[in-house]
Amino acid sequence: MPESNPFADPLRFERQVPECAIVIFGANGDLTKRKLIPSLYRLAYERRLPATASIIGTSRTHMSDDEFRAKMHDSVKEFLEDSPFDEDQWNGFAKGLHYIAGDLSDPKLYTAIKEKLAALGRTNVLYYLSTQPSYYGEEAERLGAAGLGHTTPQGWQRIVVEKPFGHDLASARELNERLHGVFAEADIYRIDHYLGKETVQNILAFRFGNGIFEPLWNRRYVNHVQITAAESIGLEGRGAYYQEAGAVRDMIQNHLLQVMATVAMEPSAAYEPDAVRDERAKLLRSIRIMSPEEVPLYALAGQYAGFRHEPGVDSSSQTPTYAAATFYIDNWRWAGVPFYIRSGKKLPKRTTEIAIQYNTAPHALFTPDAGGVTMRPNLLILRIQPEEGISLRFLSKQPGSGMRLRLVSMDFNYGSSFGERSPTAYETLLEDALTGDATLYTRQDMVEASWRVVTPILEDWAKRKFEFPNYDPGTWGPSASDEMLARQGHVWRNS
Amino acid sequence: MNHVTTAVDPEKILRDLRDLWAQLAKDQGASGGVLRACSMTLMVVAEPDDPADAESARKTIGVLMHGHPSRAIVLLPREGGEFSGRVFAECWMPFGGQQQICSEGIEITADSEQTDEVARLLVPLIAPDLPVVLWCRGPRAFLDRSLDPLFPLANKIIFNTRAVRHASSAIEFLRRMRKDGRQVADLAWTRLTGWREAVAHLMDACPGGWLAAAGGEVRIEYGGGRPGTRSLYFARWIEWALPGVKVTLIPVDGGPGLHSVVFAAGGAETSVRLGEGATLEVRTPQRTYSAVLPADSEECLMREELSILGRDLVFDRVLA
Repeated sequence: MPESNPFADPLRFERQVPECAIVIFGANGDLTKRKLIPSLYRLAYERRLPATASIIGTSRTHMSDDEFRAKMHDSVKEFLEDSPFDEDQWNGFAKGLHYIAGDLSDPKLYTAIKEKLAALGRTNVLYYLSTQPSYYGEEAERLGAAGLGHTTPQGWQRIVVEKPFGHDLASARELNERLHGVFAEADIYRIDHYLGKETVQNILAFRFGNGIFEPLWNRRYVNHVQITAAESIGLEGRGAYYQEAGAVRDMIQNHLLQVMATVAMEPSAAYEPDAVRDERAKLLRSIRIMSPEEVPLYALAGQYAGFRHEPGVDSSSQTPTYAAATFYIDNWRWAGVPFYIRSGKKLPKRTTEIAIQYNTAPHALFTPDAGGVTMRPNLLILRIQPEEGISLRFLSKQPGSGMRLRLVSMDFNYGSSFGERSPTAYETLLEDALTGDATLYTRQDMVEASWRVVTPILEDWAKRKFEFPNYDPGTWGPSASDEMLARQGHVWRNS
Repeated sequence: MNHVTTAVDPEKILRDLRDLWAQLAKDQGASGGVLRACSMTLMVVAEPDDPADAESARKTIGVLMHGHPSRAIVLLPREGGEFSGRVFAECWMPFGGQQQICSEGIEITADSEQTDEVARLLVPLIAPDLPVVLWCRGPRAFLDRSLDPLFPLANKIIFNTRAVRHASSAIEFLRRMRKDGRQVADLAWTRLTGWREAVAHLMDACPGGWLAAAGGEVRIEYGGGRPGTRSLYFARWIEWALPGVKVTLIPVDGGPGLHSVVFAAGGAETSVRLGEGATLEVRTPQRTYSAVLPADSEECLMREELSILGRDLVFDRVLA
């Protein structure tokens, strides 16, 4: 709602999604079934999506509207997160679902979409590209050729692009040029669903909404930072995709560098899309680019035993299923503080967290006592998933005689303060795109900056032949990863 | 809901709460334990000698706790009643969750004349370092000064002027409290959110158009014989947003509350009227459409108010 509206009351009024259509390319795919339609249904359930909203799915598979609705009905029932399914609500929602079968390379598909939008009377349109990334450029261009994709006074036309945004810096730039041939930058929404997670958004609230943490958020107090995204599962049918992507492209280049930017960025002057994104972009540009000589010291690849037997994976694949890297940020706040990032599959448990380790106290006042500890650094842990929350680890006196210390934890758990469900990342991000709020979307300069950071690693690894596999499923990755930290006197937080 | 009867001694009540949690943890031990949830103290004053109101308060608190887990302290005033208290826990399993979430509560019955003593008793029972919200459910606060000792305990005080007979003096009462630096809310104002949102969206659709037209007027129609606090708030809100525009309150047949608002300027009219069911019918010179009014159950209204623990600048302006 514009601020100039004297009737505005942002404390109480819901953001209003206008009458619109959402066109999903790749409507027969996994993302549509698991995330997009369940999220849109949930938005409709909470009346955050207008009852008149139309959703047009497209893919090659031939289906009628009713068949599409039936398929999505089953998907929503199966994949709706933390929320019961309401058949009556579904019946209302399903009336807005439409389907057009067609080939993405066929201009007739785009003509059919245009005709459908006209028949539905929709001028505000969100195009969601959930297809193979190699089609993104062509889809945008064909939309443009059909006379779609241009925001006018009669309505907006926006496009949401799923990651990966290119497979390297050059292809990211090329994709950007093709998107810009049709859509204005302000209408391009590059989605990184990590940024939509409540807990990632909460990092900003925690840092900049409180007075006590920010003064301790710098090189004077922080010893190092560990960012971990561990998965206990393997490929789950994504063998062909993952073999091409690997851990760096799949997780580090996008999700984890965005999380790192959120943890380390400077405060923006206002919580407004470009102000926040400027700071994120500035941080990403400040990450030191490794020289080719530094890559073997600061980046490390792993592959779990059995990966090469996964369906769709080459029997001599060199794709890393584990990657760890040490990054440095060249600015006044963070100079010299290592940021360790790791991501891997088939690790002992599913967890995503940021652990900020503080320097130990400068003087050991308490001597070690039998069974007690002394001089342990404080640790601030921001848990992204599961068990979302924040913990601060510190030393406390054990009850009893003598001064025996023990590590204790002060915990904030989302559930203990906010009993109700949080919206999923896709619910948040879809609503943002429909209301024109790009704060949590990545911008082209951020995408390019993060590609620049990982390019030396990818180039070095492409030339090497690794002795894979080098870790067993259910372990915390290759031992070389521990050695990378040990060289700096640090240890991964494996708990 | 689990509960334990207790004598009214703050320390004993806190001890009983500890025992209750220990028991809950024991009961749930094998199935993941319980999560103790608390984000505020919610003090609720039921109407004196009104078991139905007490029951309704309990039900509402049970629902509210899911979104606003709190230490609920329910005061049940009873004429000539003796002090007594009990502790209870409200537990629920989040959809798809594996661990029960529980919030705690204390119910105190006291002589309706002894609010001073009750206030002293409540101080140690308030959850430390968290916001304190006081909800005065009925019109009693406006009739006598018996609830005054409770006001200093709270960061936010929620009233409900829906049933008060003298709307202007109720608003004056809230205005004085606001001037004294207290943060106040009124569920009668909360009930207007749907109406106000419909008007705000009209402005979004036509910024600087009919509403800002010089010489325009706004007619607010209300039922029930005399303008209630809702109509008065609504009129004040429009006067504040459109300074210089003439706002008139007009009585019409029908039940109490707002019936319509008509914006007239330059010979054209735009109106928002109460429609069938819980809807508003919006008519502009270009189109007619319906807007769904949000549910106005006590739970929904309280949920909205509990989500605003800081200053509510718009309501403050209306009270100013």
